[in-house]
Amino acid sequence: MSTETPRPDITSRPTGRAARERMYRYVLLLCAAASILVTVSIVVLLARDAITFFTLVNPVDFFTGTEFLISRNVYGLLPLLSGTLLVTVISAVIALPTGVAAAVYLSEYASDQMRSVLKPGLEILAGIPTVVYGIFALVYVTPFLQAIGLPVNTFNILSASIMVGIMIIPMVSSLSEDAMSSVPDSLRQAGYGMGATKFEVTTGVVVPAAASGIFSSFILALSRAIGETMIVVVAAGSRPRMLNLSDPLANLFQGYQPMTAAMVQINSADSVSQLGFTSLFAIGLTLFVITFLLNLLSNRIAARYREEYE
Amino acid sequence: MATREPETGWHGENSDVNHLRGRAFEATCLAATAFGLVSVMLLLLFVANDAFRPFSADAGWLATYAATVVVPLAALAVYYYRLDEPAGEVAYVTSGLPVVGLLLTGGFAVLFIELLSVLEWFALLISLVVAGGLIVAHGRLRPKAALERLAVVLLAPIITVFGLPPTRFNWFVTDAAAALGLDFGLYYRVISLREAILMLPFVPTDWVMLLLTLVLPIAGAAGWFVEQRRESRRDGLTVVGLTTAVAVLGVVAGPLLGIGTDVWLLIVTFAVLPLGVYVEGVLRRGEGVRGLAFPVVAVLGVVVGGVVTGALGFAGPDPWLDWGFLTSATSRTAADAGIYPAMVGSVMMIIVIVLTTFPVGVGAAIYLEEYAPSQGLMGKFVTLIEINIGNLAGVPSVVYGLLGLALFIRVLQWPQGSIIVAGLAVGLLILPIVIISAQEAIRSVPDSFRQASYGMGATRWQTIRQVVLPEALPGILTGTILALGRAIGETAPLLMIGAAASVRLAPNSFFDVASMMPRQIFSWSSELDPSFRHGVLAAGVITLLAVLLVMNATAIVIRNRYQRTG
Repeated sequence: MSTETPRPDITSRPTGRAARERMYRYVLLLCAAASILVTVSIVVLLARDAITFFTLVNPVDFFTGTEFLISRNVYGLLPLLSGTLLVTVISAVIALPTGVAAAVYLSEYASDQMRSVLKPGLEILAGIPTVVYGIFALVYVTPFLQAIGLPVNTFNILSASIMVGIMIIPMVSSLSEDAMSSVPDSLRQAGYGMGATKFEVTTGVVVPAAASGIFSSFILALSRAIGETMIVVVAAGSRPRMLNLSDPLANLFQGYQPMTAAMVQINSADSVSQLGFTSLFAIGLTLFVITFLLNLLSNRIAARYREEYE
Repeated sequence: MATREPETGWHGENSDVNHLRGRAFEATCLAATAFGLVSVMLLLLFVANDAFRPFSADAGWLATYAATVVVPLAALAVYYYRLDEPAGEVAYVTSGLPVVGLLLTGGFAVLFIELLSVLEWFALLISLVVAGGLIVAHGRLRPKAALERLAVVLLAPIITVFGLPPTRFNWFVTDAAAALGLDFGLYYRVISLREAILMLPFVPTDWVMLLLTLVLPIAGAAGWFVEQRRESRRDGLTVVGLTTAVAVLGVVAGPLLGIGTDVWLLIVTFAVLPLGVYVEGVLRRGEGVRGLAFPVVAVLGVVVGGVVTGALGFAGPDPWLDWGFLTSATSRTAADAGIYPAMVGSVMMIIVIVLTTFPVGVGAAIYLEEYAPSQGLMGKFVTLIEINIGNLAGVPSVVYGLLGLALFIRVLQWPQGSIIVAGLAVGLLILPIVIISAQEAIRSVPDSFRQASYGMGATRWQTIRQVVLPEALPGILTGTILALGRAIGETAPLLMIGAAASVRLAPNSFFDVASMMPRQIFSWSSELDPSFRHGVLAAGVITLLAVLLVMNATAIVIRNRYQRTG
């Protein structure tokens, strides 16, 4: 340090620096607020056309109608809901137990080496585009089901739902595993101290302690299955159909049209009446509300469980 | 606990501990974990078989390549895995870098062919550089005028790139010039520097412009990076010099080898340069040098295999996924169908997303992590934003498509199915993912860094720009690349905004109607012809998955490096 160093001018302030700092803050706040804007515009824009639709079609008829035929201006949501329900139930039957079992394995049993292979592998499952899953279902799974003797149609809900199920396994497993890993080790030690086996500790201590996290992952996965579009568009056919309650098994082998698939079909159809086109927004709004409520519910459950251990 | 011995004081029957049940449970859980993986792997094998049709080749061809490529590489991989893990990583990176480099090369080549000429690129970049120069010069001349600088920062790029809108002053100039009998062809507006360059009667050849605006800057950046790492200015200059020399050499030698000069320059910039820097670093450190054998063996194996099969006359397979598929447009006949225009559409859509979603997403993450108050009315608002972002991440993609349809096409009246609409709709879809991953990256920057910066008298924004963002950048990049991977594969929003089922000509502007890769694949999926269903479709799926695989692998490499240093 030589003495000739000019004394820094610490009293002067660059003019406008404070203003500039404030401006950055507001610009960044604007970015963050953009996400609210997205939600608001989804609601407003979907509601705008949905309201036009509901002024012409009685909402009660819409939500209770058992036939959906745009060409005859019949708009009943129940056939579409049947498709969505079937996809959700079948894929849940596949994905929920598998996902939880996978989470148990990864969190309780897997060696570090196994985990380092299996976890990225499951991440890959989540990263495959859904249109590819749809093609798997249509081109490879359906012929396979036919080959093993199931009476499935070319377009059927079963193969689509199997692929939806496989697609949502990683979602269940990763969220459930997080929940299980955050169960404190002292609980496990207490279990072992009581003379319980690993199996008993896992099923009797860890899984119940992580139950709310697992449950929240279930709900998110269901919401994902409800909103899944491309798999059902490619593989589940384009015929809205009511559930056949007299012969439940036969339902699996037929084609259905879930809500998402109907939206795509209405939008890409060549000639659709104005009313038919606005029905798109009514279905879309219904779908948005269902998934939004499920996500909120899942967040609630997850938030409550987080309080338990922290 | 299989080895537990019965002890004194153990009062239960030994059969109370049921080993079988525990083992069965563990096996079931493992099977469940593997179920999804194995079934998707099997399906991928089927698709790959349809796309490449390896068994349409002679048995001799397959045997030759198995002997020259597959067996040596597998042996090397086992060796790395068992004995020499650092070499394994070197092998992974040296094989991956050229692939990523070639992918980038392809992306830029597509850009220069379809979107803007090299001259337009040159003009745009020069204008931006001049704007940057103006900003820096202003900072030097009037370092304290912060607000004034803000105006310069905003206006300089606009003036150099877009010019000035018509104003009274410009009318005056133009009228005065007209009165004097001069006609510049500029009516009532001041043209930008960019436009001025485009009008120049004499311009350098393409390769000189590319060398100046693409090769040199990136080589300079690499040189700077090396200089920082090694603290040796000479090494940095060597990198720049060697890159330039190789680039110029290729320009001279390129025509002899049949490689276009532009393509050569891109390859040098994106593949040769990073590979060279990395390999040199490996050799210098002397760690995992054996890993370099992997790519060498691979290339040698392919060459030897080619010579042998050529000499013995073995016929190769006839894959659906070949060069013709990647470079031609779709067609009614399966044999001629290709994915090129859809790939261009996807590349341009990604550009729109990067330019719009990335800044907004990172900005939102910075606000939420660095500025957001946790109390009061604003605190409530911020909590609302956080919850909302979480929920947006769970909104079905088809709803985002509907939003795009309603907002951009029905309200704003933008062209249906155009790239800009597709990019914005898909961009909105990945916005929450970008925000959440950027938030995580920013959160992982230790607070002591910030305190140190504040202690030095830095303002909050200075701290963010100089300390937090550089530190969080690898994490942000990883998250963004993964999100872009999601964006490339999204199909439902494209269907809702009416992206073209298939186009014959690649789009040339962001307002053109285009098809994107997944959209094109979806159109093929409704063809009933088996040669589409088990050929073209499979080739399209493999192309899409290959792009995704490369992107994800890149993201994972960045993440691993970052975790080690961080």
